[in-house]
Amino acid sequence: MQASAAAARAMSLLAPARGTCIRTKVYPPQRDVTDEPPRIGVFICHCGSNIASVVDVEEVVRRTAVLPNVVLAEHNIYTCADDTQDTIKDKIGQYRLNRVIVASCTPRTHEAIFRDTLRDAGLNPYLLEMANIRDQCSWVHSAAPDSATRKAADLVRMAVGRAARLVPLTEDTVTVKGAALIIGGGVAGMTAALAMADQGFPVHLVEKSEALGGAARDLFRTLDGLDVQAFLAETIDRVIGHPRITVHLHSHVTQVEGHVGDFTSVITTGAKTRQVEHGVVVVATGAVEGKPTTFGYGQSPRVITQRDLSGQLARGELDLPKGATVAMLQCVEQRTADRPYCSRVCCTMAVQNALAVRERHPDARVVVLYRDMRTYGFREIAYKKARQAGVLFVRFDDDAPPGFSLGADGAIELTVRDAIVQRDLLMRPSVLVLAAPIVGQHDRQEVSDLLRIPINADGFFLEAHVKLRPVDFASEGLFLCGTAHAPKFLSETISQASAVAARAASILSRQTMPIGAQIARVDPDKCVSCMTCVHVCPYLAPIVGDDNKAQVQPTVCMGCGSCTSECPAKAITLHHYTDAQILGAIDRLLNAGPGPVGPGEGAYLEQVGVARPRWTEG
Amino acid sequence: MIVADRKKIPEIRDMIQGHDRVLLVGCGTCVTVCLAGGEREVGIIGAALRMSLKLVGRGHVVVDQCTIERQCEDAFIDILAQRVSQYDAICSLGCGAGVQTLAERFPQKPVYPGLNTQFIGILESQGVWTEKCLGCGHCRLGEFAGVCPITRCAKRLLNGPCGGSREGKCEVNADTECAWQRIYDRAKALGTLDRLDAIAAPHDWSTGIEGGPRKVVREDQCIAGLGPKS
Amino acid sequence: MDTDQELVILALCCHYCAYAAADMAGSMRLQYPGSVRVLRFPCTSKIEVNYLLTAFERGIDGILVAGCLEGGCHFLEGNLRARRRVERAKKLLDEIGLGAGRLEMFNLSSAEGPRFAEIATEMHERVVELGPSPLRRGREAVLAGVAGMASLAEAVIAGEKT
Ligand SMILES: Cc1cc2nc3c(=O)[nH]c(=O)nc-3n(C[C@H](O)[C@H](O)[C@H](O)COP(=O)(O)OP(=O)(O)OC[C@H]3O[C@@H](n4cnc5c(N)ncnc54)[C@H](O)[C@@H]3O)c2cc1C
Ligand code: SF4
Ligand code: SF4
Ligand code: SF4
Ligand code: SF4
Ligand code: FES
Repeated sequence: MQASAAAARAMSLLAPARGTCIRTKVYPPQRDVTDEPPRIGVFICHCGSNIASVVDVEEVVRRTAVLPNVVLAEHNIYTCADDTQDTIKDKIGQYRLNRVIVASCTPRTHEAIFRDTLRDAGLNPYLLEMANIRDQCSWVHSAAPDSATRKAADLVRMAVGRAARLVPLTEDTVTVKGAALIIGGGVAGMTAALAMADQGFPVHLVEKSEALGGAARDLFRTLDGLDVQAFLAETIDRVIGHPRITVHLHSHVTQVEGHVGDFTSVITTGAKTRQVEHGVVVVATGAVEGKPTTFGYGQSPRVITQRDLSGQLARGELDLPKGATVAMLQCVEQRTADRPYCSRVCCTMAVQNALAVRERHPDARVVVLYRDMRTYGFREIAYKKARQAGVLFVRFDDDAPPGFSLGADGAIELTVRDAIVQRDLLMRPSVLVLAAPIVGQHDRQEVSDLLRIPINADGFFLEAHVKLRPVDFASEGLFLCGTAHAPKFLSETISQASAVAARAASILSRQTMPIGAQIARVDPDKCVSCMTCVHVCPYLAPIVGDDNKAQVQPTVCMGCGSCTSECPAKAITLHHYTDAQILGAIDRLLNAGPGPVGPGEGAYLEQVGVARPRWTEG
Repeated sequence: MIVADRKKIPEIRDMIQGHDRVLLVGCGTCVTVCLAGGEREVGIIGAALRMSLKLVGRGHVVVDQCTIERQCEDAFIDILAQRVSQYDAICSLGCGAGVQTLAERFPQKPVYPGLNTQFIGILESQGVWTEKCLGCGHCRLGEFAGVCPITRCAKRLLNGPCGGSREGKCEVNADTECAWQRIYDRAKALGTLDRLDAIAAPHDWSTGIEGGPRKVVREDQCIAGLGPKS
Repeated sequence: MDTDQELVILALCCHYCAYAAADMAGSMRLQYPGSVRVLRFPCTSKIEVNYLLTAFERGIDGILVAGCLEGGCHFLEGNLRARRRVERAKKLLDEIGLGAGRLEMFNLSSAEGPRFAEIATEMHERVVELGPSPLRRGREAVLAGVAGMASLAEAVIAGEKT
C-alpha cells in the first residue's frame, strides 16, 4: 500500500511524459491451427543442474517421444535462455508444431515468458502448456532420483494430455473512459481526487453532505501537532479550485452500470440528475463516531466523548473546577462480543487529550481506565510522556467493566476494580470522557447494493485481499480507501488514498484494456435457465439475457470456474480449463487416454444442440 | 416444476442386477433444473455406478450414459431408439413420468428409476427445494391469498389455523412455515382479510389422485381420427 | 506403465495459494513422497465432482484438493464451494465402498511451503495405509479382495452391521 502511494506521487510528477516511452512490440500474425491435428513439441529443461542433477532428463525425453501427438521431444540446458528460445521458435516452424510444452520450472514465473515465445513464432499463446518438474519435482525429491524421474515423466505426460486439447483464445479489449468517480468527500476522497487530477484524470467527487471534509472537520490536532483544520482548509481549496475536479455536494450516486474501464453512472443532486462516464470508482464514504448508549452519555453534559473533549480543548471551552478529576474510559461499546473490533484511534486520542488537559489544568487529575493501551508504533512515546506527566492509568479486566451511576445532583460516580492490585476504586470525576467506537455509515448497505461490494461483519467495506490487493475490491475497477474500509488514523487514510490513486491510474492511463481470455461462456443451446450459475457466481457475472438464457458478462467474469462446476446442464465452459483439457491430463496420467484425438473430439465431445442426445461413454 | 433427488448408488446397482449392458438416461428438463438428473448428474452417477459395480466384482457391466431433452416426449426418446437395442436395460434419471414413458416406448427393455420423484415445488434458496402444489385438480389458491393450505398446511386445514401455530412455524415441523400464518399475512397486506371470514367449503377430492388416475382432455387438440394421416 | 505398480496421488491445487505453496516447498527444498502429482486449477472452485470421480474410476489411489485458506480464496468463496463439492464426492465414495478416506481437502496459504510438504506426506501415508486403489487397470487381484470388503462397508453404512 505504501508502495502504491509512493508510485502515485511519482506518477503525478511524471504525468506530462506518460505514454511517451512506450514501444509496442509487433508480433507476426497468428497461424490458424484449428483444423490441424495436434502436433506437440516438448522442451525439457535441465535448468542447469537444478533438474538434471536429480531427474534423468534423457529418460524423460525417451518416454515422452513415444506419446501420441508428440512430434518432437528434446532437452535443453536452459530453456529460458535467449538462444534456446530462438531454437524453440525455429523448431515450431520446422516441425509445424501447434502445441508447445515446456517442462521446467513453475508457470507462475515463466508462463508469460514462454507464451511470448509462442507469439513470436506466430502461435497463439494459449497453445503453451508447462510441466513443473523443478519446483514440484527435482527440488522436492532430490533424495529419490528414480522416483523423481518417473514423476517428471508423468507430469510431462499429463501436460501432453492437456496440450492436445488446448485451443487458441483471443483476448478482447474495452475502451477505457479515463475519468474517476469518487464517492465521499472526506480526506480520503479528496486526497484520491487530487492525486488523480494531478495526474491528469478528470474526477467527479460526490459528497452527500453540504460540505467537504468529513470526519476530519471535527479534528483539530494530530498527535504530532499538525493543525488539521488548516490542512483541511487548504485541501478543500485545492479541490474546489482544481480544473479537473467536479465537486457534487448534497449529492448521491444513484446508479452505476458497466464494468472496469467503462462505467456510466447517475449523480443525483436534489431533483437534478446528471450522467457521468468513468473508468473507475473509488469508495471513500468514511465512518462516523458511534454515539455511546451507556455510561450516562446524553443524560449528563459532563459525560462526553474523546472527540467532544478535543473540540472543547481546541476551542478553549473546557471549564474545570479546582482540583477536578477527569476520568477517561477506554473501549466503550467496542471490543465486545457485539462489536469485536478496535477503533484504533481512541487510545492515542485519550493520551493526547490527557496531556493537553494536564498542560492547561495542571491541578486536574486525569485517570485513564483501560483494558489495553493500544498506542501502537511511535505513539508509545506519547503514552510514556503521559505517564511521566502524572496521568494515572488504571487497568480493568474485560469481564469487570467499571460501574457507573449518575446522582440526582448530576454527580458521576465510577467504581472500578484495578486489575493489577485487585482493589476496588471509587471516583467522582467532574468529567467522564468516553472512547466511543468508530462505526460504518448508516447508509452503507445502499452503497453496497449499488456497487455490489461486500461489507464485513464489523460493518466496513471488505477489500479483495488483505495483503495482495489491499485497496481493491474483488470486482475490477472498484477501489476503497479511508475509514470506509476500517478505522484508521488520518495519516493512514492519506497514504491509502494515494495508493488508490496509483492503482486507479494503472487503469485510467490506458486507452484500451484487455479482458482475460480465461473466462466462462454459456452455450445457450444447452442452458435450461435454472439460475444455478446466477446464484453461485461470486461476482454476479452471469445474467439472464433477452433470450431467457444465461450469459456470462465477459468483463465481469474473473474466470474462477464456480459456475462451470455446478451448471447441471454442463452448458458452461471455462476457457483454457475445459473438461476435455482437464480430463485429458487425468486420463493420460492414468494411461486411460482414448488415443490420439484433436481438440473437441473423442470421449468428452462437447456436443451442441438441445434435441440431440448427449452421449458420454464410460 | 417437478423436484426429485437421486437414489443411493447401491440401490441402483442392486436394481440393475443381472444386466450386463445398461444405459443411464438423463432428462434435460425439470430434473436438470432441480439438479437431480441432468447431464452433470448423469456423469456423476454413471462414474459412481461403474466403480461400485467393479468393487462388487461386476466390473464387466457396461454403463453408458446419455441425456435427452425430455424423457416424457416420444419424439426425443425416438432419437435413442437405435442405440437402446445395444443395451439390456435402461436406468432413467427422469421423473416417474419419464421412467414410464421410456418403459412404454421400449416394451422389451427393463426400465429402472434412478431418482426418487418428490413433488411439484420451487427452489427456495440455492440447494433447497420446497413443495408448493399437490396437483389436487381443483385449484383454490384464489380463496387463500395465493398460499396453498392443501399442500403447505401439514393438516390440510381449509379453515385454519390450528392451535399449534407458533411464531409463524408449524407445530408438526418447526422448520416449516405455518401456511395459515402466510395466508393471514398476505391477506392482511392485500387488505382482503374479510374474505377469510367465510367458512371455506370442504374440498372435492374426487378431482385429485384420490379419484383414481387422472386425464386431461382438450378436444380441440385431439387430432387423432380427424386428419387424413391417421 | 510404471504407475501401475506405484501409488499415484493427484494434488488438485488452486493457482493462487496451494500451487504457490507447492512451489515454495520446492524453493525450500523440502522433501515429500514422489507419489504426489500436482494439477493446477485457477481455483478449487473449478474442480468438479466429475473430475474427482473420473480420476478414481481411472484408478487414482488418492486425491488431495488444496486451496487457499478459508476466507482467503482469490475468488472470494471458491474454496468454500469446493469443500462442499469434495464432501459430496466423499459421500459417494463411501456409498460405493471405495472409501472417503482417499479424498481430502486442505486449505493453506501461498506462504505455507512446509504445510504443503506436510499434507502431501499425510495424504501419502494415509493412502499407503488404505492400500492401492483396486480400480486401476492391472490390479484385478486387488479388486477381488476388495469386493468382499465393499459389501461389508455397505452393510455398515446401511446399519446392518457394526
Ligand atoms: C470519532 C473519530 C475520531 C477520530 N480521531 C482521530 C484522531 O484523533 N487522529 C487521527 O489521525 N484520526 C482520527 N480519526 C480518523 C480520521 O478522521 C479518518 O482517518 C479520516 O478523517 C477519514 O477520512 P475519510 O475520507 O475516509 O472518511 P470521512 O471523513 O468520514 O469522509 C467520508 C465522507 O463521505 C461522505 N459520504 C458518506 N457516504 C456517502 C454517500 N453514500 N454518498 C456521498 N457521500 C457520502 C460523508 O458525508 C463524508 O463527508 C477519527 C475518526 C473518528 C470517526
Ligand atoms: S447453470 Fe447452466 S443451465 Fe443453469 S442457467 Fe446457468 S448456464 Fe443455464
Ligand atoms: S467463472 Fe467464476 S466469475 Fe466467471 S461467471 Fe463463472 S462463477 Fe462467475
Ligand atoms: S420426464 Fe419428468 S423430469 Fe423430464 S421433462 Fe418430463 S416431467 Fe420433467
Ligand atoms: S389448491 Fe390444489 S392445485 Fe392449487 S396449489 Fe393447492 S394443491 Fe395445487
Ligand atoms: S483461488 Fe485458491 S481456492 Fe480459490
